[in-house]
Amino acid sequence: MKLKYSIITILFFAGLLTSCKDYLDVPPMNIIQDQDLMSSENGMLIYMARLYSEMPFEDFKYSPQRWFYDDYQVAPGTVEGSSLGRNGAQAMTSEGWVRNSNPWWPIAYRTIRDATNLLENLPTYKGSFNESRYNHFMGEAYFTRAMVYYALAKRWGGVPLVREVLKYPENSVEALETPRSSEEETWEQVLSDFDAAIANLEETSPVRGYSNKYVALAFKSEAMLYAGCISKYNTALNLTGFGEKTGVRVIGFDPSTAQAASKKYFTEAFNAAMRIIKSNKYSLYRNKWAAGDKEAQYQNMIEMFVDINSSENIYIKEYSYPDMPHGYDIYNMASQWATGANGAFNSPTLDLVELYDGIDRNLDGTIKVFDREKDDPNRKYLMFDNLMDIFKNVEPRCRAFVMLPGDTYQNEMIELWHGTYTGDVADGISPLMSFNGEVDYSLATRGKYNTTDAYRGAGEYTQKVLYIDASRSTHEIVTLPDGSSVNASGRCGPYWNDQYGSITGFSLRKAISPNKSKAELASGVEAYDSHHCVLMRYGEVLLNVAEAASELMLAGESRVDGNDLLETAYSAIHDIRERAGADPLAGQADLKGETGRDLIRKERRKELPFENKILWDIRRWRTQHSDNLNGSTQSDGAYYRGLYPFYSTRANKYFFDARFDFFTHRYTLKLNQYYFAIPSGEVSKSPVIDQQPGL
Amino acid sequence: MKNRCYIGNLLIGALLFTSCEMFQMDNYAEPKETIKGEIVDAITGERVLTDQSGDGIRIRLRELSWTETETPVNYDFYCMKEGVYQNTKVFKGHYNVRIDGPFIPLVRLNQTTGDTIADETKYIDIKGVTEVNFQVKPFLKVEWAGTPAVSDGKITASFRVTRGISPEDFKAIIEPLGSYNADFLDVTDVRLLVSQVPYVGFSDRDDRYSVVTNYTGDAFNSLLGTTITITTNSNILAGRTVWIRAAARIRYLTENVSRYNYNEAVRVDIPE
Repeated sequence: MKLKYSIITILFFAGLLTSCKDYLDVPPMNIIQDQDLMSSENGMLIYMARLYSEMPFEDFKYSPQRWFYDDYQVAPGTVEGSSLGRNGAQAMTSEGWVRNSNPWWPIAYRTIRDATNLLENLPTYKGSFNESRYNHFMGEAYFTRAMVYYALAKRWGGVPLVREVLKYPENSVEALETPRSSEEETWEQVLSDFDAAIANLEETSPVRGYSNKYVALAFKSEAMLYAGCISKYNTALNLTGFGEKTGVRVIGFDPSTAQAASKKYFTEAFNAAMRIIKSNKYSLYRNKWAAGDKEAQYQNMIEMFVDINSSENIYIKEYSYPDMPHGYDIYNMASQWATGANGAFNSPTLDLVELYDGIDRNLDGTIKVFDREKDDPNRKYLMFDNLMDIFKNVEPRCRAFVMLPGDTYQNEMIELWHGTYTGDVADGISPLMSFNGEVDYSLATRGKYNTTDAYRGAGEYTQKVLYIDASRSTHEIVTLPDGSSVNASGRCGPYWNDQYGSITGFSLRKAISPNKSKAELASGVEAYDSHHCVLMRYGEVLLNVAEAASELMLAGESRVDGNDLLETAYSAIHDIRERAGADPLAGQADLKGETGRDLIRKERRKELPFENKILWDIRRWRTQHSDNLNGSTQSDGAYYRGLYPFYSTRANKYFFDARFDFFTHRYTLKLNQYYFAIPSGEVSKSPVIDQQPGL
Repeated sequence: MKNRCYIGNLLIGALLFTSCEMFQMDNYAEPKETIKGEIVDAITGERVLTDQSGDGIRIRLRELSWTETETPVNYDFYCMKEGVYQNTKVFKGHYNVRIDGPFIPLVRLNQTTGDTIADETKYIDIKGVTEVNFQVKPFLKVEWAGTPAVSDGKITASFRVTRGISPEDFKAIIEPLGSYNADFLDVTDVRLLVSQVPYVGFSDRDDRYSVVTNYTGDAFNSLLGTTITITTNSNILAGRTVWIRAAARIRYLTENVSRYNYNEAVRVDIPE
């Protein structure tokens, strides 16, 4: 017993002694070290894979609701006014409501650390690469940091700028605490990281999926437009303030220098975009395009998101099934094809569709659905032989982005209609939004059609003449004059009692596979798709250059680096519109002044919806709270409209009703919500990190 | 052997006990002190009426006697619509009490450097029932002009908007902070708000009936002091009871929020 004790004691002390020997102080063999990765291109492939997997790309795995790296219910457009989402309208202020307690913030700083680690340690292994490749990898690190700081700045304004790898436990936590920098310093960091990336990156990506000089230039032009707009339009709102703990101006620019700053950033945006244009490496996709042929122009804009080799693609994200799939198609597919529980998340608004050319309009610019003006008490619905006739002259771009009622997808008619009208048509059909004999299209009623007189057989109607399916499984059956019977509503909805059909009378078309198989859609598997996501395309670069030029003209410039601003803006917008099949501009004068700027902004909303761009545009323009949306603004709470098609059995024709979305998705944004709140845990645990002023 | 088992069990039991703090009583005294008070116009002595939400007057307590965290966590609550506030669940201690609303900010910072130029917040001990009143300089004053009339489900109401603080006094206080803009004083919009509950305000309004009138630039200046008459939108159903209020605001933001000054809420019964 005693002996055992002694042995244990001796062993114990022996254990203590040997652990101090230097020859045992070796890195663990099962943990990969910098030297393993940074000493070869194959090692760097692994390092890059990690960087890119955490990049804040707003791709098919990004939604304002759930942030990055999450493919669940991805439905782009639903917070920018381009469309309404089935699971409630999530305005931008609620980006990450699911993730409020677990936001992206810590991941961002982990990615910054990985990038900075590369900048600090790769020089040790410089000899392992040829000079151009070594520079490229340094450029990748700068590009990563630029993208992360850009993503941080557009959400939070000034953020902590960590420029070196923080060493813990060598330093105490107190010594490593980093306060938020000013918003201006943060944008300066974004600018300098992009510039370093552009200087170092190679002209073409050495590996598929890597960045290159032009990718960085394109994102730089986008980021600098953001910075320029903040320094201009945010300052106009007096939206600024100082951190409570540090006294640093963590949001907004100093009003006395903001004007100069905005001009500088717009110039940077303009020059970055110009370098891409002048390189002649990219062009608008026109492989299927033909002058004057609307069908070809439409087909061309479908193909541009399908063709992985499109000359318009500057940067794409690729996926693969089953390792890295996404669910874009199934979530956004109209319910006619997506028969499971996951389709029809994305219903484009009539407000978006009305931006496009080729639609008959009322005097106030809204779509014409009656034979007289909107407020004429004797107005009757216009009757159309075919469902698609109301859009027969629409700009091809609209058809390529939005599934319109009666258009074709996979050789089937898109069955978007809300109900069937069996009443008399001899004197035309009076407005359906009639309640106890009173016609009311105002926000006040917002009634669904199942409460209308025509549905209930009240008011003017002696019997029920309107039939609507309650949901995609609860039908009202209508007998046609020939004796056959059909469901009252189309297979894509809308239905009045569930949102599994379209909500607005439209469905999403953009970037959806043209030949998605029904078997896949019906399988119930959500992440089944592997087609690529276009993150940056030449079309946006043209819109960036035009907007920067317009802002510089407003700031009093007419030329930058020998480029005529008006001419540059005109040629960019001209090309975009020509490719889209839109009405041509009258001339360069269209783009002058603030009306010109607004025209460029409108072109952006028409070209880039559903690409996670517009949601940031309306924020940087600082118009999200103030844009007039159907007589209201988001600062008061605003509503979007839909277009509800009906079929008349007696006339064998279709008619349309334009009105507020009857599920009444309400969008609100207050001024102080342009900046997101810093995650409260980060504020309370740190003696230096400030919450947004005023919050 | 038996003995060893016994000791072993005891040890395990002891470990279980000592490692779990859940058996300890939370003996920290519950927050039972009360802070209350009213917010009045420094000139007229009238209460500053507000909206009962983040868009109205916010009271912010910071417990300075709390030392266990680096900085005290803000304890925010909101003023009642009559311009009075009360909170009966406050820990005993030394506090900074700050209010923000549609009046000259109590804390004023240099807009270039962020340095504090004025701090009119209160530093007090909260113990028992502590009353803390504030005298402030409201931007605008909204008053009824006559009794609202009801016709066919629509309410027509008249009111006047005047300045609570003169433009000269406003400028004398705000301009030295830097980044001054003459348009701070512009009245941007005037509202007649309708709600089905007495807590009517910007954040509790029925959009079907409430009316907003926007003004660009200083267009409202000529209407200051005049009687403004607004009729509500759409017909309110007969037999219903609603509460109405008028509100107006200027462009100047307090704590990055654009806040309204109000008159008192009035009950209106729509006849059968």
